[in-house]
Amino acid sequence: MASVRGVGKVELACAAAIVVGLMLVPVFGSPFSVRVAQQIVLFGGAALAWNLFCGLTGYWSFGHAAYFGIGAFAAGLLEAELAGWPNGAKLVAGCAFGAAVAAVAAALMARPMLRLRGIYFAIGMFCFAEVVGEIVRNFDLFRGTLGITFPAVQVAGLTRLQSSFYIALALFAATIAIHVAMRRARLGIGLICIGQDEDTAGMMGVPTERYKNTAFILSAGLTSVFGALYGHSLGYITAGSVFRTDISLNMIVFAMLGGVSTLLGPILGAIIILVLTQVVLGSLLNMHLLLTGVVLIAIVLAAPEGLVGLAARIRPRRRDAPPPAQSKAAA
Amino acid sequence: MYLLGQTLVDGIILGGIFSLSAVGFSLIFGVLSVVNLAHGMFVVLGGYAALLLRERLGMDPLVAIPLVFAALAILGYGLQVGLIQRVVVGRALVSSMLITFGIALILRNLVATFLTSDVRALNSDLTPSSVQLGQIVVDGARATGLLASLILLVVLALVLGRTRIGRAIRGTAQQGFAASLCGVNVASVYALTFAISAGFAGVSGVIIGLIGPFSPSDEAVWTLNAFVVVVLGGTGSPLGALVGGLVLGLINTLSSQYIGPAFPNIMMFGALLVMLVVRPSGLLGNAFRGTV
Repeated sequence: MASVRGVGKVELACAAAIVVGLMLVPVFGSPFSVRVAQQIVLFGGAALAWNLFCGLTGYWSFGHAAYFGIGAFAAGLLEAELAGWPNGAKLVAGCAFGAAVAAVAAALMARPMLRLRGIYFAIGMFCFAEVVGEIVRNFDLFRGTLGITFPAVQVAGLTRLQSSFYIALALFAATIAIHVAMRRARLGIGLICIGQDEDTAGMMGVPTERYKNTAFILSAGLTSVFGALYGHSLGYITAGSVFRTDISLNMIVFAMLGGVSTLLGPILGAIIILVLTQVVLGSLLNMHLLLTGVVLIAIVLAAPEGLVGLAARIRPRRRDAPPPAQSKAAA
Repeated sequence: MYLLGQTLVDGIILGGIFSLSAVGFSLIFGVLSVVNLAHGMFVVLGGYAALLLRERLGMDPLVAIPLVFAALAILGYGLQVGLIQRVVVGRALVSSMLITFGIALILRNLVATFLTSDVRALNSDLTPSSVQLGQIVVDGARATGLLASLILLVVLALVLGRTRIGRAIRGTAQQGFAASLCGVNVASVYALTFAISAGFAGVSGVIIGLIGPFSPSDEAVWTLNAFVVVVLGGTGSPLGALVGGLVLGLINTLSSQYIGPAFPNIMMFGALLVMLVVRPSGLLGNAFRGTV
C-alpha cells in the first residue's frame, strides 16, 4: 500500500529501470515485441492514470474507458479539421484538445459523481461510460460508427511503429513523474488520507472536496491522452474500439495485480498480463476470455493487495518502517 | 392515441420481463451486498438450458421452466459456496464485482466454445396466438412471458414474506450479524439466496428466449438492465424490481417510439445517472441506504 512518505527509492529505481528497458525494445526486439511493448505502455499508462485518482483514494471507477474514448475521438475529430498542418503538429494539437475535452467532462461529472461512494461510484462511472459510448455511436456528428482516421506521425530515422511507440513511452514516463511529484506534494498525501478514511481526513483539515476534484480531472485528462495516442497507434478507430468495458476493466486489473495505489503496481500488472495474453497464450485465442477470468479470480483470492503488497509482506520490515496502511476499497 | 396505447402495452410487457430478469440481482445485492456481474450470464444460460432441453429431449420451454430453475439454482449455489463466499466476508465490495466478472467471462467463453456463439431463439407450442384489443395488438408469446413473470414474482414475494426461510433471508438482509445471533446460519442463507436468484435469472432467460433471439454476448445487456432496474426500483424486494422493471420498460418503448430507435440505451442510462444523483434510494426508497 502507498505510504504518505512518497514513492520509495527501490520502487522508483524499478520504475526507471522498466522505462529504460522499454526504450531498448525497438533497438533489439522484433516488430512484434514492439507492438506488445506499445500495448504495455498505452494500457499500463492508462492504468497509472486511473491509479492516480482511483487507486489512491479508493474511488474505484469502472468507467475510465469513457475518458480514453473521449480523448481518442476529440483528438481524431480535431485533427480531421486541421488540413494542411504538419502531422506532428496535428498530433500535439489533437492530444491537447482531447485532454481539454476530457478534463471539462470530468469537471462537469465531478460534482454529482464524487458524492457517491464505494460501489455506487463504481456503478455511476460504469453508466457514465455507457452513456458516452452510446452518444458517440448514435450521433453522426461524432462519426462513432463511421470511424475516424488518424494521420501517420513519423519521426526521422524511425519506422512509423517505432515513432508512435516512443511518443507513447514519453507520455508514460511523464505519467510516472507526475505520480512521483504528486506523492511528494500535499495533494498526494491528502489523497492517501482520503483513501484511508475520508471523513476523518476531512475533520483533520484535508480539503477533501478540492483534492478529489483535482485528482479526478488530472486522472481523466491523462487517460484521454493515452486514448488519443491509442487512436494514432491504430490509425483508424470506431466507437467500438475505444468505448469498451474491457478497457475500463483492464486498468483495474493491472492495478490490482501489481498493487493498487503503488507506483509500480499498474506497470507490473500491465507487463505480466499483456505478455501472458499476447505472447505466451497467443495461440489460445478462443480461450482468451476464460483465461482472463481465471487470472482475475486468482488475483482476488490469492493476492488482494497485489504483487507489490505481497513482496512488502514477505520482505523483512525495517524497524522505522511505518505500520501497514489499512486497505480501503471497502466503503 | 392508439399508438400511445400500443407503446404503453409493449412497455408494460417488456417491463414485466425486465422485472423478472432483475429480481435475482436485486435479491443478491440486498442480502449479500454483492454486485453480481455474472447475473446476465445466468439469464443467458437459462435460455441455452431450455434450448438444449428442446433440441435433445423435445421438451417445451414452458414445461422446462422448473428444470431450468433447478439447474441454475445448483450452479448458483455451487458458485456461492465455492468462490464468492470467500470474498463476501470482510473484503472490499469491489472484490466481489471482480470475482463475479471473472465468472461471467469464464461462463461466456465456455458457452461460446461448447454450445454456440450464434444467435438462437426458442419457440413453444403452448403460447396462444396474438390477441387484438381494439386496435392494440398483444403478441401471444409476449403476453405469456408477462403472465409467467408476474406469477413468479408473486411466488417469490410469498416465499420471502410468508415462510420461515423467507424470514431468515429478510433478517440477514437487514443485519447479518444480528441474524446470526438469532440462530440463522448466515452462510447457508447466502448460498440459498444465490441459488434462488440464479434460478430466477435462468427462468427469465427462458422467457426472453421465447420473445426474441439471444446470444452469449447478450449477457452484458442483461446485467446492465438489472443494474438500472435495481437503481430505479430499490433492492431486495420483488415489488421494487417490478416497479423498476415497469419504469424501465416504459422508458425503453416510449423513447424508441417518440424520440428515435437509437435512444433507449441513452435514456436508460441517463435515467440511472439521474436517479443515482437525485434519489439514490430508489423510487420505493429502500435501496442504497447510506450512500451519500
